[in-house]
Amino acid sequence: MRHQHSAGVFVHRLAGAGVFHVVLTLLGLALVLPFVWMLLTSFKPLEEVNLENWIPTRWLPGNYAEVFETKGLQFGRWYWNSIFIASCVTFLQVFTSSLAAFSFSRLNWPGRNKVFLLYLATMMLPGLVMMIPNYQVMIELGLVDSYVGLVLPASFSAFGTFLLRQFMLTIPSSLDEAAEIDGAGKWRLYWDIILPLCRPGLITLTIFTFIGSYQSFFWPLVMLKSLHRYTLPIGLLFFDSSQGQQTNLLMAAVTMSVAPMIVVFVVLQKYLVKGIQLGAVKG
Amino acid sequence: MSWSRAKKRSLALGLAFLAPNILGFLSFTLFPLVFSLILAFTNWDLRLHNIFRQETLRFAGFENFSRLLTERDFWKYLGNTAFLMMGIPFGIAGSLITAILLSRDLRGGSRRIWVYLVAVVLLVLGTGALLLAGAGATGMTILIAGLVGLILMGGTLGGSTVYRTLFYLPHFTAGVATFILWKKLYNPHTGPINNALRPLLQSFGSVIQATPPGVLRGIAWACLVGMAMLVLTALRRLSRAWRDGEAGRLSVVLGGALLLAPAALATRWAPWSEGGLALAGAAGAMTVLALAAAIVRKREFRCRHDEGLGFALMFCGVLMIAQFALLGLSRVAAALPAMAANPDGMTPPEWITSYYWAKPAIMIMGFWGAIGSNNMLLYLAGLSNVPQDLYEAASIDGASPMQRFWNVTWPQLAPVTFFIVVMSVIGGLQGGFEMARTMTQGGPAGATTTLSYFVYTQGFETGRLGYASGIAWTLFLLVFLVTLFNWKFGNKYVND
Repeated sequence: MRHQHSAGVFVHRLAGAGVFHVVLTLLGLALVLPFVWMLLTSFKPLEEVNLENWIPTRWLPGNYAEVFETKGLQFGRWYWNSIFIASCVTFLQVFTSSLAAFSFSRLNWPGRNKVFLLYLATMMLPGLVMMIPNYQVMIELGLVDSYVGLVLPASFSAFGTFLLRQFMLTIPSSLDEAAEIDGAGKWRLYWDIILPLCRPGLITLTIFTFIGSYQSFFWPLVMLKSLHRYTLPIGLLFFDSSQGQQTNLLMAAVTMSVAPMIVVFVVLQKYLVKGIQLGAVKG
Repeated sequence: MSWSRAKKRSLALGLAFLAPNILGFLSFTLFPLVFSLILAFTNWDLRLHNIFRQETLRFAGFENFSRLLTERDFWKYLGNTAFLMMGIPFGIAGSLITAILLSRDLRGGSRRIWVYLVAVVLLVLGTGALLLAGAGATGMTILIAGLVGLILMGGTLGGSTVYRTLFYLPHFTAGVATFILWKKLYNPHTGPINNALRPLLQSFGSVIQATPPGVLRGIAWACLVGMAMLVLTALRRLSRAWRDGEAGRLSVVLGGALLLAPAALATRWAPWSEGGLALAGAAGAMTVLALAAAIVRKREFRCRHDEGLGFALMFCGVLMIAQFALLGLSRVAAALPAMAANPDGMTPPEWITSYYWAKPAIMIMGFWGAIGSNNMLLYLAGLSNVPQDLYEAASIDGASPMQRFWNVTWPQLAPVTFFIVVMSVIGGLQGGFEMARTMTQGGPAGATTTLSYFVYTQGFETGRLGYASGIAWTLFLLVFLVTLFNWKFGNKYVND
């Protein structure tokens, strides 16, 4: 009797899970189809890009190499610019944010909480409000159309400070006392104890910052004037408006600019999901 | 003020660690903030104030703001922004449903996996073989089958993590690259979406032509009747809330206004002027009746005017969006015979190049990115925090799955939903810039220009920095007020 019952339950559960899998698979299919079209089109010869059939009759992996050689574009340069700028921004932002977070969470100084509140308050403001004066400042400093002008304003973030502070607050303060007894200064405490302990937080912020900078659009759009300084988003926009009819090459370029993000996400998603669920929202 | 040495020391130490960050903070956040506020009250214009031409800068008082509020375009762009924001509830619902589907443990015993695995491997191998053999036109079918097989295999082996990764990709990669991709997908003549729709619409067109026109008119009217029913049901609910002292006067009036907005707008569309008028009239009469009845009955209750405002606006807002959906459906049903009578047969929409389809197109794209977004992850985390014994208790009481959702899951998730709504509204008000810049240039005819894109064109394309600052601060004020409102009235609703 009992055996019969459990067999029934098994079949029921199998069917139940099957339905779930089918629904989720179909949803996944719908979400992934644009990417599939992108990938397949990037391998097509130009005369096939508008055909209804998604699959190329002739596969041209050479499209990818051609993107780098196309006249009027500097795709390789843009790729490098994007990665270089994103790396600089990420390094500077993680470093300055962790210092500030340390100050806000481990050091006790008069007025600390008020300053922190000010930081929090500015997080609510739309970035748009700051863009116009910052642009004016960049004009005055002669930094329009330069890497410094791109990197500098993005290297300080209230959000990063906030995120790392939250991580640092979870580290027990008894460690500080132990370090002090051992004669370690504040810098040693920061560098040798706190930083290694909030590694997950640092990784999360690194991903957020890197992707955010890699994707950033508004600021580079208004700042960059010369072709060889473009970052990928600006370059893609230029590609689309100047030679957008070459859909196969454009899709190869789009694929190449999306690919690093997909890799980063799949490899590091454990940290990302945690960071987002901590209440940290991308962008 | 005499501070002890230790205090001074700690201040110096704290500031030393803070220094690199706070320097940047002061120069790139705080200073620009103050500067832009001043800028908003000047006539600063890059065409007048540059190295070649130095006209004197004039303090303009509230000129920028008064000009903005009297500019017709501003109201149109505000309307566009609000229109695009109507996609938010659909996105949130989508990510909630997805999160619920994902929250089940999808990995099972070993036997189950083998059944799937064999089927899937066969599917994939067959697909690959056919692809290599050059299967031509049937290639599409095989491609889809192969993809389904791959995803299913990943899902059965890796459980919900694999699906989650897949669902999250559109959101994670959203940016200029994917917008350009969608621009190609939406191309009305050569894009894959219309390539797929064209044959479907051809056969649909012949079905329409075979249908007696009365049926379609009937459907169109049924949608309008559905709208009216929604309004009436909602008004009944509102007046009950009023009677029970759960909703104050202000809440009822504002909620009622939201409910009637679609009908009022419908009257502006010529073909439906009669229907819309009738609807508006009926609903208006109902409101008056309901209010009168409530006032008569309510005498003994006293509550603040804004009691239950958050609830009333959220409830009525969602119903308003549902009404707009019905209204759109009704108009499409009414227009179908004419479309099918076209000698070329039915043609698919022109998407981002059409004035009427551009916003829906952008909303569909937004939905694609919203299903598996951060919201899904937040809901997943929220779902795992719902105490299991609540479900068990509900099961013992014999609650159906729907009852379990509405009585256990939904109230338990209220704080998460609240957070998501607040963030989405903030994002929505400031959003739309990247899409507008990459896909449509704000067009056609300003149909996709949002407030943020308006700031960009005024400030960085035209050079009116003062005016653009004024718009940006107006936008900020809007965001601030809406958020304040959410906190004041939403928080209470969540905690109740």
